[in-house]
Amino acid sequence: MSARNWGTELDLSWISKIQVNQPAVLRRAEQIQTRRTVKKEWQAAWLLKAVTFIDLTTLSGDDTSSNVQRLCYKAKYPIREDLLKALNMHDKGITTAAVCVYPARVSDAVKALKTAGCTIPVASVATGFPAGQTHLKTRLEEIRLAVEDGATEIDVVINRTLVLTGQWEGSDFIKTSTGKETVNATFPVAIVMLRAIRDFFWKTGNKIGFKPAGGIRSAKDSLAWLSLIKEELGDEWLTPELFRIGASTLLSDIERQIYHHVTGRYAAYHDLAMC
Amino acid sequence: TLGIPFPNCLHLPQAWLDTQDRRLGHYVSGKWLKPEHRNSVPCQDPITGESLASCLQAQAEDVVAAVEVAGKAFENWSGLPGASRAQHLIRLAKMIQKHQRLLWTLESLVTGRAVREIRDKDVPLAQQLLQYHAVQACTQEEVLAGWEPMGVVGLILSPTFSFLEMMWRICPALAVGCTVVVLVPPASPTPLLLAQLAGELGSFPGILNVISGPASLGPVLASQPRVQKVAFCGAVEEGRALRRTLAGRGAELGLALGTESLLVLTEAADVDSAVEGVVDAAWSDRSAVRPGGLRLLIQESVWDETMRRLQERMARLRAGRGLDGAVDMGARGAAAHDLAQRYVREARSEGAQVFQAGDVPSDSPFFPPTLVSDLLPASPCSQAEVPWPVVAASRFRTAKEALAMANRTPRGGSASVWSERLGQALELGYGLQVGTVWINAHGLRNSEVPTGGCKESGSSWHGGLDGLYEYLRPSGTPGRLAYFSESMNYDTFGLAVPSTLPAGTHLHTSPHSSPTAPYGLFIGGRFQAPGARSSRPIQDSQGKLHSYVAEGGAKDIRGAVEAAHQATPGWVSQSPGARASLLWALASALERRESALASRLERHGVEFKAAKVEVELSVRQLRAWGARAQAQGHVLQVAELKGPVLRLREPLGVLAIVCPDEWPLLAFVSLLAAALAHGNSVVLVPSGACPIPALEVCQDMATLLPAGLVNVVTGDRDHLTRCLALHQDIQALWYFGSAQGSQFVEWASAGNLKPVWVNRGCPRAWDQEAKGAGPELGLRAARTKALWLPMGD
Repeated sequence: MSARNWGTELDLSWISKIQVNQPAVLRRAEQIQTRRTVKKEWQAAWLLKAVTFIDLTTLSGDDTSSNVQRLCYKAKYPIREDLLKALNMHDKGITTAAVCVYPARVSDAVKALKTAGCTIPVASVATGFPAGQTHLKTRLEEIRLAVEDGATEIDVVINRTLVLTGQWEGSDFIKTSTGKETVNATFPVAIVMLRAIRDFFWKTGNKIGFKPAGGIRSAKDSLAWLSLIKEELGDEWLTPELFRIGASTLLSDIERQIYHHVTGRYAAYHDLAMC
Repeated sequence: TLGIPFPNCLHLPQAWLDTQDRRLGHYVSGKWLKPEHRNSVPCQDPITGESLASCLQAQAEDVVAAVEVAGKAFENWSGLPGASRAQHLIRLAKMIQKHQRLLWTLESLVTGRAVREIRDKDVPLAQQLLQYHAVQACTQEEVLAGWEPMGVVGLILSPTFSFLEMMWRICPALAVGCTVVVLVPPASPTPLLLAQLAGELGSFPGILNVISGPASLGPVLASQPRVQKVAFCGAVEEGRALRRTLAGRGAELGLALGTESLLVLTEAADVDSAVEGVVDAAWSDRSAVRPGGLRLLIQESVWDETMRRLQERMARLRAGRGLDGAVDMGARGAAAHDLAQRYVREARSEGAQVFQAGDVPSDSPFFPPTLVSDLLPASPCSQAEVPWPVVAASRFRTAKEALAMANRTPRGGSASVWSERLGQALELGYGLQVGTVWINAHGLRNSEVPTGGCKESGSSWHGGLDGLYEYLRPSGTPGRLAYFSESMNYDTFGLAVPSTLPAGTHLHTSPHSSPTAPYGLFIGGRFQAPGARSSRPIQDSQGKLHSYVAEGGAKDIRGAVEAAHQATPGWVSQSPGARASLLWALASALERRESALASRLERHGVEFKAAKVEVELSVRQLRAWGARAQAQGHVLQVAELKGPVLRLREPLGVLAIVCPDEWPLLAFVSLLAAALAHGNSVVLVPSGACPIPALEVCQDMATLLPAGLVNVVTGDRDHLTRCLALHQDIQALWYFGSAQGSQFVEWASAGNLKPVWVNRGCPRAWDQEAKGAGPELGLRAARTKALWLPMGD
């Protein structure tokens, strides 16, 4: 995490002055996916970089300590060792950025990571995820308990009732969505959010992080997200402190692409470890 | 940056070049033509300088042969049912689809443009163009009844224009039944490849012929007698020169000139999106409307913010080899580089701020994205066309000032307006004097939307219905033959006014003698004495003096044009309904004056019955054009755009008309009515032999029409024609007179590149529906503007 966002005086004129032209943003979103097609070793490098931004996530009702443990192990060893060796990246300590679980699974995750001997942070969705429609009191309590269990990052679902009625909240990171909505991380929405982050930085000097979540499944998608961050915010945002991708199945596709890059063959699912 | 690999793209174009032994000829009549004893020019990779192939340069005889082939093919092709032509175009679209990879890699390799733009935008658009025009060919008999294909079309392309510019023009030409000879600049293999793909369809080999040769062959192609229409894409000065060379040569000339575009950024804009618009326009290798630089007008209140965002964005642009999939900009060869460098150096010396950024290789053919600001309006760089990849930014205070600044340039290609305020965006969109306006977008194109320009950007259209009319003429019009006169002296034509002396007794002996004919020049809504203070006699059919008319001259023309300009804004802002009712009122006035007008015509040898018919037809014309004033423009719905594109028909401005001697009243009224119905204000020179009926009508116009809307100047026709044709502030000129006069008008119009319509000395049957009131008049009396209105929440 970067330095906290200590916030600033609420100035609603910032919001009222914002102009967003939807068709133009849609066009930009379309362009961004085709303008930076990287190939070969450049592609492999970008994919490895993408791995380090992943909040490896499991948010299922039937999560148990065993699959959380598996997830944590995968977070520590996201890409098969021999593939990394072939790329000469085996000693660079490539892990995912964090693991992300429900509050009740935080202690499982912390334990598993401790056993694996790594310092990957544990993130937890708290506060009545995914709707956020619970009382403030229980929401705060939920956060407190998750932190007690060892979570170092909390994905808060803001009270959207307040947002829609114009009462805003502040944060260190903003997320496109919970990943549980019908529409999740899309490029047009992300473009608007990233431009807001940049404006806020220009006005206050505070860097706010960004986390798209939900629906990012293919390696190609992840590259488009990276190029979007690079283009709209610049290289200084391409760090796990300021950029995360919330995903569960993305990692295996990236691993498959790396496999193909190294071996020249397409991998079967059983060639790669599950998470 | 050059180290970044691109997928194995190179072998495909290389292999194609190998099939020609790296020696490209011309593609004529469905086969490669490689004549002996021709010079050749190397086709080079613009980045490495490596020679890819050598290209044979055509000579005049090759051009003649190609036109011959196209002429033969025309006889067959134009006679086919539209549906058959449609089928052929669809087959070509499929052929392109099958070989698109070769097409885009070749184009990127030889032009240096980013392959991404060619692959994702240009090639799909080329296919879309063929498909759209196939549909048009299919419905031609029905929708375009009364029109026929012109014949052989000569298309001349300048080096900076992509193969897409060729597609924009050959598709409509082929669809309506014309055949084409394309002259491409040396070392442009892509058009040759396209011709080969078309040729390999087997049938109709001669409809598309591509020859490559030096610019000097342009006039040779254009003045071939079989060539009926010449379309030219290139620089303004080249277009001007071609216009002069082709005066009197017969073929109609359609010009698309210059490359600059304009972007107006208001304080109500989504600035980040507008910045992307700037990138699209200037730094993205998009072959938008014209591939050039950008003039950027920014409202003062958002100047700092915009500059910051723009500079930030520029730093993230990448230039590099076009075949690299991750570049924004390629290189455009040494000539474009030098042009940009000269402009920037000049701008710096004139005190402008120059900002350059981006990840750009430092070696020669690459030029970094460049932002020039604080240019003074009077500096030469402000006046000159902004070259690729330069953006010249200046600030404005109010929307009104933005409009004034934007329109104060001789160029009229394309522009975009960025504002989230609907009213303001539309006000600017309607007010800009350009061919295409995008609201909150830049560089969108679609085969259904007419794209053209005005002022020095040339008045020709491609796309949509307007694009089809470029290659059609009213059925039954005779072919255009050269009427060029060697003895024509442009310096002296109409220069001096022959002096006129009193010409004998002024008799009032006619049996139904009307009161004395009105005397004076009708300028600014009233009859005025001519500046020269002299008069010319008008004889009746027996050679007796009928009356005197005022001898107008250069100063009177100047006054008339000024008066017309003053009347223009008022007339343009009138609703079509109001225009219609004034034309109808004028029709009624003419009806009341019927006997007087008929007797005037009679004195000039028109039989009494015919004279009555002429007056009646004139009345009918006024009513017909009044009714048509209501039906202007329409809305287009294009595939990839949510929201409409408005096809507007806008007045030309001040239209000068030199009326024919035949049908002295009817022709005068027909031309006048069509011009007024479309919102123009006019300066007319009436029939030379019989100007009195026109002056009679002026008496009614004095009471009915706003002052200055219509101005009628009598006098020596050659002299007045000279004054009008050389006037820079007349927006269009129609000339019906002698062959010599027509030639002069075509030559002189090169000055401000005003569109001209000349009769080449041939009389017209004004009493016939097709010629007198036909849609041709309506087409020429207004210009098209496409206004793109993307919508979204």
